[in-house]
Amino acid sequence: MDIQLKRGLLDVCVLAAIKDKDSYGYQIIKDIKPYIEMSESTLYTILKRLELSGMLTVRTSEHGGRLRKYYHITKAGLGRIEDFKNEWREVMAIYQFVNKEDTKRA
Amino acid sequence: MRKQEFLDALERELARLPQKEVEERLAFYGEMIDDRIEDGLAEEDAVAAIGSVREIAEQIIADIPLARLAKEKIKPKRKMKTWEIVLLAVGSLVWIPLGISAVAVILSLYVVLWALIVTVWAVFVALAACGAGGTVASIGFALGGNGLVGLVVLGAGLVSAGIAILLFFGCLAATKGIAWLTKKITLGIKKAFVK
Repeated sequence: MDIQLKRGLLDVCVLAAIKDKDSYGYQIIKDIKPYIEMSESTLYTILKRLELSGMLTVRTSEHGGRLRKYYHITKAGLGRIEDFKNEWREVMAIYQFVNKEDTKRA
Repeated sequence: MRKQEFLDALERELARLPQKEVEERLAFYGEMIDDRIEDGLAEEDAVAAIGSVREIAEQIIADIPLARLAKEKIKPKRKMKTWEIVLLAVGSLVWIPLGISAVAVILSLYVVLWALIVTVWAVFVALAACGAGGTVASIGFALGGNGLVGLVVLGAGLVSAGIAILLFFGCLAATKGIAWLTKKITLGIKKAFVK
């Protein structure tokens, strides 16, 4: 897959993973795994990028005698997901058009 | 490998990065390992699932811009003494030109590599143009009643087109190879700043 495209998809996947409920690193990786394979280092970079651009906030919380970082989606983050959905409605329409052209010839 | 061994090894690889950055990374990977253990994995397996220290360190370094790494390296760990500053200022007569030439050498290396790529693509474009031009010209000759010349021109055009098609794949592979090499060189330079 195109790197630029994949980067955008990964950002939205991570946001979607924390959309309904605050989540933590390992849980995010597990939730996304069926759809996109992501390494820890990649996740770290994405979380940092999303935090710096105000899409999510981070809080540290105690869990079983150790600290764990939880990620919380912001309004901007929710907006990013909506933008993604709108963009992809267009992409899907184009996809259907392209695919239809294919089947006609066959 | 145990969790602590892994974190210690990673810390050593990242020794020259800003302290805060290193601490954050270590906390992140530590949490990842702990969560895997809590999920039922043995400690060694949890560490293995994260990947090799070297690979992780390389990816981290690749993610950080070169300018920041260089700044971090140049920044002295303690305040300089007066005589050190004086020495540095006098020495600048020597080390500034040296530094500039070092950068120039690296830059010219890049330029040479990419000039090569531009050249092979230029040859490809020229051959493709000969192919198209030859075919069109041959029609012109044939219509002008000069069939034999037309045939020769058509043949030359087709040969050019054939070579161009073959060359296209060569160009593509060469471009990919150079891009890969460029990435490797950049990582190498960055590593020199981190170690």
